[in-house]
Amino acid sequence: MNSRPADLSVSLGGLDLESPVIIASGVWPYESELWREDRLEGVGALCTKAVSLEARRGNDGMRVFETPCGMLNSIGLQNGGVRSFLKEYLPLVKGSNRPFLVNLVMESEGDVRANIALLRESSSSIPAIELNISCPNVDGDGMAWGMTPEGTAHATAIAREEWAGPLWVKLTPQAPDIAAVAKAAEQSGADALVCGNTWLGMAMDIRRKRPVFQRVVAGLSGPAVFPLALRTVWQAAGAVTIPVVGCGGIAGWEDGAAMILAGASALEIGSSLFTDFDLPRKITGGLRAWLAEEKEPSLAALVGRGRV
Amino acid sequence: MTCGGRAPRDYSARIESNRLLGEKTGLLTVLCPAIAASAEPGQFVMVRPGGGDDPFLGRPLAVASVSHGTFTLGDELTVRGPIGQGFFSSREGLPLPEKVILAGGAVGAAPLLFALERLGGRAERTVMGVAGSGWEDFASWLMEVFPALELYSDDGTLGIKGTVLSGLPEELPGNTEVWACGPEGMLRALAAKYPSDGGRIRVALEARMACGMGGCLGCVIPTRSGQKRVCVDGPVFAASEVLWNEFPSR
Ligand SMILES: Cc1cc2nc3c(=O)[nH]c(=O)nc-3n(C[C@H](O)[C@H](O)[C@H](O)COP(=O)(O)O)c2cc1C
Ligand code: FES
Repeated sequence: MNSRPADLSVSLGGLDLESPVIIASGVWPYESELWREDRLEGVGALCTKAVSLEARRGNDGMRVFETPCGMLNSIGLQNGGVRSFLKEYLPLVKGSNRPFLVNLVMESEGDVRANIALLRESSSSIPAIELNISCPNVDGDGMAWGMTPEGTAHATAIAREEWAGPLWVKLTPQAPDIAAVAKAAEQSGADALVCGNTWLGMAMDIRRKRPVFQRVVAGLSGPAVFPLALRTVWQAAGAVTIPVVGCGGIAGWEDGAAMILAGASALEIGSSLFTDFDLPRKITGGLRAWLAEEKEPSLAALVGRGRV
Repeated sequence: MTCGGRAPRDYSARIESNRLLGEKTGLLTVLCPAIAASAEPGQFVMVRPGGGDDPFLGRPLAVASVSHGTFTLGDELTVRGPIGQGFFSSREGLPLPEKVILAGGAVGAAPLLFALERLGGRAERTVMGVAGSGWEDFASWLMEVFPALELYSDDGTLGIKGTVLSGLPEELPGNTEVWACGPEGMLRALAAKYPSDGGRIRVALEARMACGMGGCLGCVIPTRSGQKRVCVDGPVFAASEVLWNEFPSR
């Protein structure tokens, strides 16, 4: 009998994680107390909030709205810009004693190059970049970079030229052909893919008779999107050989297990942390018990096992 | 500061009682010793039913009072808290004023009850307002818990006809502060009533919230020192800090 605790460690996209549970971008505040060991039990890595070249105020009007089993957000990438990140928050993030990914906003080509150039000066303390390509290509057609294989390839190639370290590309689920954008990112040098960002939705204010959000549309997340996200993970993992990270609606270890079986090498959790701080510990606990029950020595060995 | 810093924690809790005070208003009594031990007036909690994904998000509820109770069976909840800077911790060392006027609009009375408790029952005046008809049960609860209550209603069916503001002095006397909680319109009008005394008006704001821990940035408002999150940087602010004219319409 093997009585050692089940091995949840995973290595992917240039990072070695003790746990497959990663905190997704945009949900964890830079509150020093929350980056301490006792508040991060079960967390293998963290993604920072969005980091753009210059500070962004974010969107006006309503920013969050609850939906059945989920929520819409229109935060608009509010952040203080890369210089403020490096000065004010990098020391805090490093103090978590875990790998982390700087969530980089794919802005214009010039801005992204300048942004990464600044990050490069601290590259020894930045384990990885997660490139968010759900943002509009303002020099191009204004559509999100990640909508087409061409846009995805172009964005990935720009970041790849500037950043020698681990580069994860976070896809947008709005892309009509997930397999094609996944392949495009892989061919342009991504080390791993995250599937994916929020799903475009909207809400109507039936009293004021107008959309709830000033920008009309907003990003849907939470358990409501889990089956959709699982499907995109399945499609992406079937198309590439680099690791895929499942993200979207994960709210318990069963969701995590399903993502792993579909081909995810790790998990990002976002909105469900809004309702339960303890979720990373619960997910890792559940996965460990699952491995023990299934007499499987390691989680890594189960990646993609459910593929038919 | 509250003990243990300002980041809230999640707890399981049980409903001890739920007293309806109107169609959409109620007084929920929840047993959660850890929060009771550390909460201060003006702070709030995010409450959601335990287990299940629907409703997905917690509901921000102000802490009206804390006391120690016995365990009784009831519905299970998860409670995140205590959250934010209250009437005391938001002062950042500023000494307490000699006199405090409590001004509450509708359910904004809740945190003021807790404030009154922590002021040792000593409030210079307690002025509350409700819409009127339909608020009878709520008004009787107010009268039960606030001694020397001055009650106003818009339609004049309860207490004096008028708004909370009409019950407040034209000029704020020296060494007096107003501690207020209520609808945004009321707090905005309050700030406008005392334009040069905004530092002595402390308002507990409400906002749409997803996380109640400072993470989502869904609750930000413009202030003199930049964008602030109502949940953890507030909910209590000096009225002079808030840029009322740039307030987002939500
Ligand atoms: C309030 C909020 C802010 C977010 N901000 C970002 C962001 O800055 N960059 C990013 O790549 N994704 C951002 N996301 C998307 C999440 O990282 C995640 O991809 C998405 O919410 C789906 O996962 P979930 O269902 O577990 O939340 C944000 C999500 C939410 C709810
Ligand atoms: S409710 Fe999320 S930051 Fe305030």
